[in-house]
Amino acid sequence: MSDSTPHSSHIPAEGPAVGQDEWVARHGERRLLRGGRLGKLEERLRVVPWWVWLILFVAAFSLLPVVESSGYVRRVAFDTVLYMLLALGLNIVVGWGGLLDLGYVALYGVGAYTYAFLASDQFGVHLPTLLAVPITVIIGALVGLLLGLPSRRLTGDYLAIVTLFFLQLFQTLMTNGDSVFGHDLTGGPNGILNIDPFHIFGHDLAVQHGGVFAVSYFYLALAVFAVVYVALRFVNLSRTGRAWRSLREDPLAAEAMGMPVNWLKLMSFSFGAGVAALTGTLFSALNASVFPLTFYFILLIVVYTMVILGGSGSQSGVVLGALIIGPLLELLRDPGKARILFYAALVGGVVFGFRRSRTLGIVSGATIAFGFVMHAAASAHDAAWVAGDKASGFGGAMAHWVVVPAHLASWVQPTTYVGLIGLALLLTLVDRRVRIVLLVPTLYLAAFVWENVMLANPEPMRYIVLGVILVSLMILRPNGLLGERRVEIV
Amino acid sequence: MGKLLELKGVSLSFGGLQVVNDLNLHLDEGEIVSVIGPNGAGKTTLFNLITGIYRPASGDITLDGRSLVGLQPHQISQRGISRTFQTLRLFLNMSVKENVMAAAYGHTNAGIFRSMLRTPGMRREEREIEQLAQERLAFFGERLMGYRWDQPAYSLSYANRRRLEIARATASNPRVLLLDEPAAGMNPSETHEITELIAQLRTDGGYTILVIEHDMHVVEGISDRVVALDHGVKIAEGSFETVATNEKVIEAYLGLQTTATK
Amino acid sequence: MDTFIQLTIDALTLGSVYALIALGYTLVYGVLKLLNFAHGDVFMVGSFIGFGVLQLLGGTSNPIVPIWALLVLVTLAAMAGCAVLGVVIERFAYRPLRNAPRIAPLISALGVSFFLANSMQLLFGAQPRNYDTFSLANGALYLHGIDIGQVRVPLLRIITIVAAFVMMVMLWYLVNKTRTGKAMRATSFDLEAAAMMGIDIDKVIVFTFVLGSALAGAAGVMFGLRVPTNVSIGFVAGLKGFTAAVIGGIGSIPGAMAGGLILGFAEAYTQGYISTKWSDLVVFLILIAFMIFRPQGLLGRADIHKV
Repeated sequence: MSDSTPHSSHIPAEGPAVGQDEWVARHGERRLLRGGRLGKLEERLRVVPWWVWLILFVAAFSLLPVVESSGYVRRVAFDTVLYMLLALGLNIVVGWGGLLDLGYVALYGVGAYTYAFLASDQFGVHLPTLLAVPITVIIGALVGLLLGLPSRRLTGDYLAIVTLFFLQLFQTLMTNGDSVFGHDLTGGPNGILNIDPFHIFGHDLAVQHGGVFAVSYFYLALAVFAVVYVALRFVNLSRTGRAWRSLREDPLAAEAMGMPVNWLKLMSFSFGAGVAALTGTLFSALNASVFPLTFYFILLIVVYTMVILGGSGSQSGVVLGALIIGPLLELLRDPGKARILFYAALVGGVVFGFRRSRTLGIVSGATIAFGFVMHAAASAHDAAWVAGDKASGFGGAMAHWVVVPAHLASWVQPTTYVGLIGLALLLTLVDRRVRIVLLVPTLYLAAFVWENVMLANPEPMRYIVLGVILVSLMILRPNGLLGERRVEIV
Repeated sequence: MGKLLELKGVSLSFGGLQVVNDLNLHLDEGEIVSVIGPNGAGKTTLFNLITGIYRPASGDITLDGRSLVGLQPHQISQRGISRTFQTLRLFLNMSVKENVMAAAYGHTNAGIFRSMLRTPGMRREEREIEQLAQERLAFFGERLMGYRWDQPAYSLSYANRRRLEIARATASNPRVLLLDEPAAGMNPSETHEITELIAQLRTDGGYTILVIEHDMHVVEGISDRVVALDHGVKIAEGSFETVATNEKVIEAYLGLQTTATK
Repeated sequence: MDTFIQLTIDALTLGSVYALIALGYTLVYGVLKLLNFAHGDVFMVGSFIGFGVLQLLGGTSNPIVPIWALLVLVTLAAMAGCAVLGVVIERFAYRPLRNAPRIAPLISALGVSFFLANSMQLLFGAQPRNYDTFSLANGALYLHGIDIGQVRVPLLRIITIVAAFVMMVMLWYLVNKTRTGKAMRATSFDLEAAAMMGIDIDKVIVFTFVLGSALAGAAGVMFGLRVPTNVSIGFVAGLKGFTAAVIGGIGSIPGAMAGGLILGFAEAYTQGYISTKWSDLVVFLILIAFMIFRPQGLLGRADIHKV
């Protein structure tokens, strides 16, 4: 039964030994098949070395201010770079160390505030940048170290509690720090203002040129990002990275093989904190002010979603996650753009869900028809029922399909919202045919809820979207976009 | 040759259950000693005590005369004791090569900062580690070499996983190897191979080996000395023949009033 | 002395609410080894359900039923509503992850918490809702009460403490003296073994969530009766709740009660004798102290692992 033609590029030309290695040899193929289309793409792209990707990415990103002169876009770009840095840092702790650090953004805050202490009028200390930043990073790493120490053997649950409480504590301390025994230490809820900008090569990095966001900080942040990325990649490829991976696999075996598991976990915690603190200095210097509320639960979930979406453990993944979520959050602020995004997602979801199937046509057609029928019925009943908010352009066009009443009774919002959730959850329970039938009214209801409930409240709406993404990810694709599919022995 | 590893009066109990009771055991340099006994006799507990996972309630465990009690498992590993596990504890999602390279951590020292900068010293050490891994894996012939290098450990067959675990254990450059049921789940030809391998580990590798085994063919084939445990107590010690025909040992395995058949 | 009595009453009231929340955490952790981060937001929803039902029944100024009936109905409604919510969360956010690595349901719980809090904000806005208990029977719940020394303990406080205590006793009885309770305890020791003994794990888990969430709902109403509620209270309440559960010994019911009381006392005394600003710090230090010296908490069992 020996075969002279290789089945995959991994087998030596003489073929696998009879009866023994066939299954193993086909491993590469099987993995390819399991990964689906995304997996095949990954395989092809895997050949490209990581630093090529990095160079391409940084080059492309740095062209952004050239192409786009809007201060707003540049500002969002800068924020996204900060998110990317935060994601990289969290990846060290969660992805490599395997620790659930729920206080991470407090360490970001520690960095931001420490820089503010060292470079503003708060204490009258104005250290030069090249001193203030490293000191802040070291302090951040130290605080991380101290935070990790008491959690005995850093078992997941206890660490989660301690770190989450630290998040709360940081908030309280910074908010109430404006009257500690009569001294104003932290500026309280109004924070610290007039923080020194970075002073490099003899120049203060200007935040604005004539009212428009200047790019110097953006390029600085991008440079910092590139350096941190490379440094972390090197660590991951070294014996420390190997040890981190080992302790993620099996901490007991790792310890038995000579790896100091507790120390390694502490190191990952501390390093993550250091990266967060570094990002904090960038934040402080650019914004020239810090407030406690920035560094709280919402930001924590945002960064976590980025890391999970991108794939915890994968550096490129978490950066991708930040690139997606950061701008997404911004886009969702504007109802017009949010509307477009929603319908794009709806259409995309249906197309992707029913690709290669005739049902696609049925579902799409039925939903569209259903919509027009409902709309006609509603307007026939009472013209006011479809006379709401006729935005121009896309929104106006969609208002001929979705029912957008002029006035909403107060019970409509909660009822339809909860109803939509109920329907969506129900869809996961029923069998295929019922699901297809139910999908039509659900999609329409979703459009209704989006237009009438969600778009009216962009703030919580953005975060609801994030929450849904996070939960769905954990259930459907816990390894995220670029994370590796792991084999676990429970 | 002096005693390399020694346990003196070691005892341990979990709640009310005495799992190891006043145990005396020694291992001379270059020896292969087998530990046998029915399930629950305390054999794996013995390994856990030596490697620092459990701390003895009383007694002492010494390596080269220096006490190991109270040390962290990774410190004990760095002192020169390495082990495999009864239930196989490989780093499944890491490649074969990486599994072995990982165990070299204890005797290498490129720190995080040197790694970030990729100093020449760090790179040299990485090459040395890789070479070490190659040597250790080559010990098993072609099985774990070649295209298997970069395959994740979960893709290996059962027998190969056992071999990989042994290879990994040797990568920390230990003096003492603790093998916990290395032949478990293997077919006769694989068992025969493992028996030869363990002997080879002593002659070529120079390791001193303590083996837990149930398969008496293996025990007979490799042991300089056999120790029998039951309910945490040593009930017999000596050559294979002596122990196998010992009344108490037979009673422990088979119950009272049974004649031994070999 | 009077301050002391006043603060002690505060501590007991606060502690009772914390204990009820902590019980929900400890029950779920016992069976699933999961820290249900969404629990605090269930508590928040409970306080809102209570408010809603209160308005339906005419509000505190013009209730259409007698006071005692009002309180009972409101509490029962919140408990029922939260029980349903808890079951739904378990079914859709945690059950699919039962065999996933431990970190997965934890993160899912975070997502659910985030989703709940923001959904409530979407639907009901960020402004606080005041039960306005004072209007009830012209302030009867505040003006009547028991006198201890110079301090008058308002009826409301007494009702809160007693009700919480009664619920805890009922829970204790349920868990220790009934068959279902025995099934819960078995599951919390070893899920697989319990399943193999013929216990329907899914039912036990659902029941656990029903109990825990109902208690959170009741706690929500007790909270709302005294302080105006809003959509953001879930996070801090949940945090304090599971800190209490951990300090008392996670997995232990008396532990959760003890932890809740410890937390209540720590906060009340710090706020009274030192300042409201530092109560979080004090609690944090207590938590750290337990982590270092007694990680299994006051009444928890130390874990024995077989290698």
